[in-house]
Amino acid sequence: MLLRKMWRDLLQNKVQFFSIFLLSLLGIFVFAGLDSEASGMAKYESLYYEETGLADIWVQGKKFRNEDLNKIRAIPGVVTAEKRLRIDGKAELEEEHDLQMNFIDSNEISRMRIIKGEPFEPGEGGVWLEQTFAEHQGLDVGDTIKMKVEGSEFDEKIRAIVCNPEYVYFLPDAAALMPTYGDYGAAFMDSAEYPVKDEIYFNQIIADIDGVDNTGGLDDDEKERVRRIGNTIRNVLDDSRIVTTGKDADLSYQTFHSEIEQHKTMTYIFPAVFLLIAILGIITTMTRMTSRQRIQIGTMKALGFSKRTVVMHYASYSLFLSLTGGIVGAILGYNTIAELIISMQSDAYLVPEMRTAFSPRAFGGIVVSVLVSTLVSYIACRKELAPAPAETLRPASPKNLKHSALEKSRLWLKLDFAMQWNIRDILRNKVRSAMGMFGVLGCAMLLFGAFACLDTMDFITTWLYGELNTSNYQIIMEENTPLSVTEEYAKEYSGQMVQNSGAEFEVNGVRKSGAVTVYDTGNYLHFEDSDMRHINLNKKGISMSCKMAEILGLEEGDVFRWHVIGDDKWQTSHVAGLYRNPTTQGITMTRDVFEEYEYEFTPGAVYANKKPKASIEDDDNVTGVQSHDEMMEAFDSMKEMMYTMVYILVAAAIVLGVVVLYNLGVLSLVEKHREMATLKVLGFTTSKIRSILQMQNILLTCAGIALGIPCGMGLIAALFGSMPESMDYIATWKPASFAYTIAGTFILSCAVNRILSRKVKTVDMVDALKGQE
Amino acid sequence: MEPFIEFRKVEKKYELGEHTFYALKDVDLEIMEGEMVVILGPSGAGKSTLLNLLGGMDSPSGGEILFNGHNIAGFNDDGLTAYRAWNVGVVFQFYNLIPTLTAYENVALMKDVRNNVKKGSIWEKESEGVEILDPVEMLDAVGLKDHLHQFPSQMSGGEQQRTSIARALAKNPRLLLCDEPTGALDTDTGQEVLKLLQRVSRERKHTVVMVTHNSSFADIADRVIRVKNGTVRSTEINEDPKDALEVSW
Repeated sequence: MLLRKMWRDLLQNKVQFFSIFLLSLLGIFVFAGLDSEASGMAKYESLYYEETGLADIWVQGKKFRNEDLNKIRAIPGVVTAEKRLRIDGKAELEEEHDLQMNFIDSNEISRMRIIKGEPFEPGEGGVWLEQTFAEHQGLDVGDTIKMKVEGSEFDEKIRAIVCNPEYVYFLPDAAALMPTYGDYGAAFMDSAEYPVKDEIYFNQIIADIDGVDNTGGLDDDEKERVRRIGNTIRNVLDDSRIVTTGKDADLSYQTFHSEIEQHKTMTYIFPAVFLLIAILGIITTMTRMTSRQRIQIGTMKALGFSKRTVVMHYASYSLFLSLTGGIVGAILGYNTIAELIISMQSDAYLVPEMRTAFSPRAFGGIVVSVLVSTLVSYIACRKELAPAPAETLRPASPKNLKHSALEKSRLWLKLDFAMQWNIRDILRNKVRSAMGMFGVLGCAMLLFGAFACLDTMDFITTWLYGELNTSNYQIIMEENTPLSVTEEYAKEYSGQMVQNSGAEFEVNGVRKSGAVTVYDTGNYLHFEDSDMRHINLNKKGISMSCKMAEILGLEEGDVFRWHVIGDDKWQTSHVAGLYRNPTTQGITMTRDVFEEYEYEFTPGAVYANKKPKASIEDDDNVTGVQSHDEMMEAFDSMKEMMYTMVYILVAAAIVLGVVVLYNLGVLSLVEKHREMATLKVLGFTTSKIRSILQMQNILLTCAGIALGIPCGMGLIAALFGSMPESMDYIATWKPASFAYTIAGTFILSCAVNRILSRKVKTVDMVDALKGQE
Repeated sequence: MEPFIEFRKVEKKYELGEHTFYALKDVDLEIMEGEMVVILGPSGAGKSTLLNLLGGMDSPSGGEILFNGHNIAGFNDDGLTAYRAWNVGVVFQFYNLIPTLTAYENVALMKDVRNNVKKGSIWEKESEGVEILDPVEMLDAVGLKDHLHQFPSQMSGGEQQRTSIARALAKNPRLLLCDEPTGALDTDTGQEVLKLLQRVSRERKHTVVMVTHNSSFADIADRVIRVKNGTVRSTEINEDPKDALEVSW
């Protein structure tokens, strides 16, 4: 019977209970949805790398021989190593397409995953072709493809369509900002297939290191192992020209992994706040629902039901609603938000079968939501059951009211009846008023957070490409281009030469990797201090980015050690100045200072304002040209994911706001039913009563907005403060965001109130003034 | 013959700041098994407090309440719950039916009460063989066989009160407490309800205790206890109680 009672109670109070269901659903929908996306990426990253055994270190050199390979294999800590020739070639289809070719001896490290066709066998002919390229170009197993490398053309039969863990994220060239898979690709062939007969050379060795696994990114211990093995390799091969790249510096691995880390941060802060607001909404609704059933609780107790049975009966309402809401929310979130975002990610990262995944956190979210909701009903019901049934059977005695300080002041007498009534009502129903205000606060906070998120991203784009880099074009040079060639271009286009290289920094044994930016004379690269004021670093020695200095605990004038990646010689310098950069953390200096440290200036780009001639791309020394607009566009497409999330959050904030406000409004109306009926009997018009109610709504909305905006600022500051170490995003908000938030919240709050105040019309004076029963 | 229920020096007081308010003071009374008792008194006399103590819905501040020889005044919450579950049926002034359950379900709810009560209490042993009565039979007994599947909101006040009586009787209680059972009903319906209660007391041998301010009801009782200002003013034995249908108010 109790089960039937529960079911009918749910049906009879469907609006209230549905809102609890909806709040649980919404909270978990966003939380589990975003979490499943980030967890799915992390899970399939680990699975894919684990299955294919992604290499831990890449050794680049001119010509590796078998004895070099054996030397590396003999290093303690190296599990195995492979040599290969990786070279850029072309696929001669209807048009020519870039194809990175890998001539390999074996397939033990960074193994190909066969999508279709035969597995790789050393010594066998044919080509194993990367999947997106094959699909876009309409190539299939058994087809023959014409390729060209180092001037030699050759044909190969496609043996299999594959994907490879080193090609999760890859760009056609260094000038490209975003991948356009399918237009270019990768191919794997046996080293015997290299078309220039007897001329095969190996420019790469990849190795698998003991104790460095492929799950969940690299921890400090793993990074140290990779670094140590890298040093040993350089010592063992005794060649200063070779460059070792650890997994954490590999473009494909690093880009994908930091994307995952970024998502984890994003999916943690916002939805956690969201879930919190939903839970608070549930707490208020459930407490009041239970207290409204006071007489029934008393009757059940008087009839002989034990306290435990009654408590469990009421707790089961919340349990049922929050559990079903949570499960439906999780299923919906998993199938909508998570699917939407992960499908966008699948376009950028080539991880086969990357899917969403439920994580313990998502389950944790449901458990927390269910536990809190159930506990709230449990506590609320216990409170009603605490007195003897004889007392619970009577309506709750009115509170012992006292006059507040405001009511004793002179100002009080100057307020009109509506204001006095509202202030008293707010002060005497503190919890209900606080929750109403909290609902508005949550809504305003999420709205402001979402708008500020967009502002920040816009600001970063303008800051990066409008203030720090003011060039219209960047001519990207090929690696190893003679300096004289780059200088010629700089001269021709009145440009500024800039070098960006990897570097490592050390202070008191703490090591961090970052970048060293070296610039020649020119006026395209600019710097700003921590207060965003333009500063001139030319006359200073080596300046450090604020974020890197913060990570290393350095201040201006402090001493640190550093070296350029690929060069083992450590330098000792002091921090001559501090500058702020959103995307690159490390140090910067002029070409002169760099050369004083006996480094060779090898600029990778020329920044210029003059439009380069179209023929410039024909020069083998030039990788490509990026225009200012292209850079902005590329940045914009990176922001797309964030926009999607922001839109989802804005929509969710609106629904959340409506549900919380409507819910509390209905409760408040029920509680004020008799008062309103009395006012009607006394001769107040419906519109006057409405305006009284609206005034309270406006007061609480103002308070909610006033508190919600600073909370939104805090939320955004926390969100961008927890970005990966390489990013230094400054949380920014435009005046328009304040306006949108205030207007949005007000419209929402007033719209809900308008719907609610219609109910005033339906207040039946006779009915409302009858006995409590 | 030993009294079935006995109050010895029972008091119930409330501390209101520095003042102490006595709802009941030095109450002594006796009720025999199977009697129909009417407790009479004006508003604020303490009759509802008396009924609450009798029903184990509240605990006294002092004194003893003996029910079949057991002092329930010292019982804790669990003990009182078991006492109510096994012995007491309550008919409320405002019926207190569960609005989301039908008449049948409201009565059948009593099975849940028995199923959920703690096992092994003294009452369980004393009530051995006493089963929960069939809800349909009970509703039939109060003349509501045709209203089995109606919700309280679909029934008149009299019908609701009769459902409430059926619910109380379904427990087959040794003590049936009625708090102003006709208070919310018109005279004709009230008479019907009174007749029903009288019949229950006579035919089923239930001890019925009814609290009311209506002195006309004194005529139908076996025993009339008059209370005023928290004390028992008099107890009268009515040798020849009237039929409920003969009284009017």
